Amino acid sequence: MVPTLSMSKAMPLGDMVFIIVAFLTLMVILKYVAYGPLTKALDARADKINNDLDSAQKANEDATALVAQREQELAAGKDQASQVISNAKKSAKDQSEALLKTANDQALSLKKVAEADADQLKSEALATAKKDVADLSVTIASKLMQKNLSADDQRSLIDAYLAELDQQ
Amino acid sequence: MDEPTSTFSFLGLTFNWTTIISTLIAMSIVVLIAVLLTRKVAIRPSKGQNAIEYVLDFVRGILGDQLPANLARQFGLYAFTLFLFLIVANEMGLLLQVKMGNGVTYVKSPTADPLFAFTLAIMSLMLAHGTGVKALGFGGYLKNMFFKPYVAMFPLNVVEQFTNFLTLALRLFGNIFAGELMLNLLASLAWGTHLNGFWIILAFPLEIAWQAFSLLIGGIQAYVFVMLTGVFTAQLSGNE
Repeated sequence: MVPTLSMSKAMPLGDMVFIIVAFLTLMVILKYVAYGPLTKALDARADKINNDLDSAQKANEDATALVAQREQELAAGKDQASQVISNAKKSAKDQSEALLKTANDQALSLKKVAEADADQLKSEALATAKKDVADLSVTIASKLMQKNLSADDQRSLIDAYLAELDQQ
Repeated sequence: MDEPTSTFSFLGLTFNWTTIISTLIAMSIVVLIAVLLTRKVAIRPSKGQNAIEYVLDFVRGILGDQLPANLARQFGLYAFTLFLFLIVANEMGLLLQVKMGNGVTYVKSPTADPLFAFTLAIMSLMLAHGTGVKALGFGGYLKNMFFKPYVAMFPLNVVEQFTNFLTLALRLFGNIFAGELMLNLLASLAWGTHLNGFWIILAFPLEIAWQAFSLLIGGIQAYVFVMLTGVFTAQLSGNE
């Protein structure tokens, strides 16, 4: 029994035609059933991945820019805050100085007034005292001496005496 | 094997029932697989879609290794169909062979038929030659095919073109045919004339082992056929 191939018989051309037609039909069917939708889906996926990568990169850049902006704003805010604080300190100092100054001034003027009052009181008291002493001395002297020494003479005499006292 | 065949004539052409039935069954299986796996094609793939996408990627990878991008894209559908069809056709006979009472095997691997393998090889090579003519012009195509790398190589190049065709077809046919032949021999060993039980015990693991081996062979041959189609196309269109 020698194995022979079916090729050695009459060439079945019909089979070849059938095989090629069947294969082409299968190609058309697969194109609509599988290959077309699959390539479309694969392309769509590739596009989507590309877009996602792009947008991710953009989002990343945006976020970085935003971080920088926020940091800048934060620094500006800090500066502003410290400026506000130093301003407040300065104004508080100024105010307290002004208050102190007015208080000092007031105290000084009060002191002056008081001194003036005291001087006045003193001179008034002195004057009253001079008068009282003169009158008293005249009375005493007139009683002691029993002389008719005029009051005016006595007064000038005592004034001269008191002036001498003042000069000492 | 000198097996009886069942043929009929139509429009003066001879048709072989075995080829027609086996081819149609292989086609139906391919279509069924394709339809089932691509019922819901989405950007986020399901399990089935993933599987067939893997096949598509695999085929694209085979072509992409050989051909420039635009040609690989053009050949995508052809190679995808060829690969699916061949792998189903190669494995089909391992599972299912139907032999009728008149001794005719109506269903087996269609690729175990030399005519089938030659037809596919002719189709692939015609595509490759057509691509060559389209890419280089007829003169350029002839020059590229016969006078490369120099004119003196002409006789060898003629032989090479012929052997390309023969090897493409015979490699596929031989592997699958031999695989099925071995399966049949092992099966007839199991049902030997005497000591039935003993032969089955011996033949059963051998059959399993050979089927596993043939599965591998069938896959490899489908891969090789698609790859060689790409290689010849690249050679004939000057893209080596």
